[in-house]
Amino acid sequence: MPGMATESPVAPARAARSIPAELLLAEIQALGITHMLNVPDTHQKSLLALMAKQDQPKLITTCTEDEALAVHAGLYIGGQKPMISIQNTGLCACMNALRGILLEGHIPAVLMIGLLHSEPNVPPRQSRVLTVRLTEPTLETWGIPYYLMDTEDDVHYLRDAYQRSYDEHGPVAVLIGAKTA
Amino acid sequence: MLRREACEALVDAKGDGISLVTMQAGRPWAESGGSEVMNLNVQGCMGAASTWGLGIALAHPERNVMVLDGDGSLLMQLGSLVTIGAQAPPRFYHFVFENGTYGTSGNQPMPSHLHDFCALAKAAGYKATFSFETAEALRKGLPQVLATTGPVLIRLTIQPEHTELTSNGVFDTAGHVEKLRQALAKG
Repeated sequence: MPGMATESPVAPARAARSIPAELLLAEIQALGITHMLNVPDTHQKSLLALMAKQDQPKLITTCTEDEALAVHAGLYIGGQKPMISIQNTGLCACMNALRGILLEGHIPAVLMIGLLHSEPNVPPRQSRVLTVRLTEPTLETWGIPYYLMDTEDDVHYLRDAYQRSYDEHGPVAVLIGAKTA
Repeated sequence: MLRREACEALVDAKGDGISLVTMQAGRPWAESGGSEVMNLNVQGCMGAASTWGLGIALAHPERNVMVLDGDGSLLMQLGSLVTIGAQAPPRFYHFVFENGTYGTSGNQPMPSHLHDFCALAKAAGYKATFSFETAEALRKGLPQVLATTGPVLIRLTIQPEHTELTSNGVFDTAGHVEKLRQALAKG
């Protein structure tokens, strides 16, 4: 479900699901994404494996999320169409880069953020896991719109987020609530 | 050498390359004319200049990318050497202004003087490294540096200088981003 910084959405109960990696990759390729900056994420494991076998987008693994955001910014300035894949703990790790680069630079960016350790059937903000529980409120505090992707029916959120990031000239998050398969 | 002397030498060698400058080098770089065209002043995210430059270098491999980094900044994101070494942009020139202090916050000493940025860069996959202690040596060596396939790290010995924090914390990052993006789009 889409979220706004000014909203406090109460997500419906979530069933144990997975998101087909092939569908996600097809959507990413259809968007014309040139580079995927990533620090590996458990939920997106199969998607990352699939992308590693493809030429488009070029998969670039960085040592830290800070670096992923900075390389993304440089590629954007250079006319490329990059995207970012990290996990929720990585979001915590790169908050200063998120502010100093993407927010202050007004740089369009989609961050696919895996909700590591999220539980099936439990809305993220009701999780027993602190990093899961904090993700949506953190994004709201920083004024970053987000979408929660749980099933293959939600894959279109990637396109929605991409368009929104350019419309609003800033970062938009897509929370990957289920493992890609 | 002084920061200003290093900047003056680098401006003369910039040509049609792209420059990224961060922290205390920002002012002398601007006063030397380095920020007028094809430049990004990276403030507000210490240590990010080099990987920001990496993204530009990957998008524009036909141009030289010169990053004017600080030693404290590089230590903040030391893993960036590995990321840059792995991508190996051939025209990437990473100048590290090494003065052993955190200039912006009042010249406090760094945790250690034992590190060797040239050795670290080589171990991380940089193709070559250079080290210059005087502005004269830097000017003389720059043609060879810029003829070397990158990524290249160039260590500059810079005298600690008294500096005042002149920024009020408001910095037009978005304006700098858009200016460089449009300049690159025009070619």
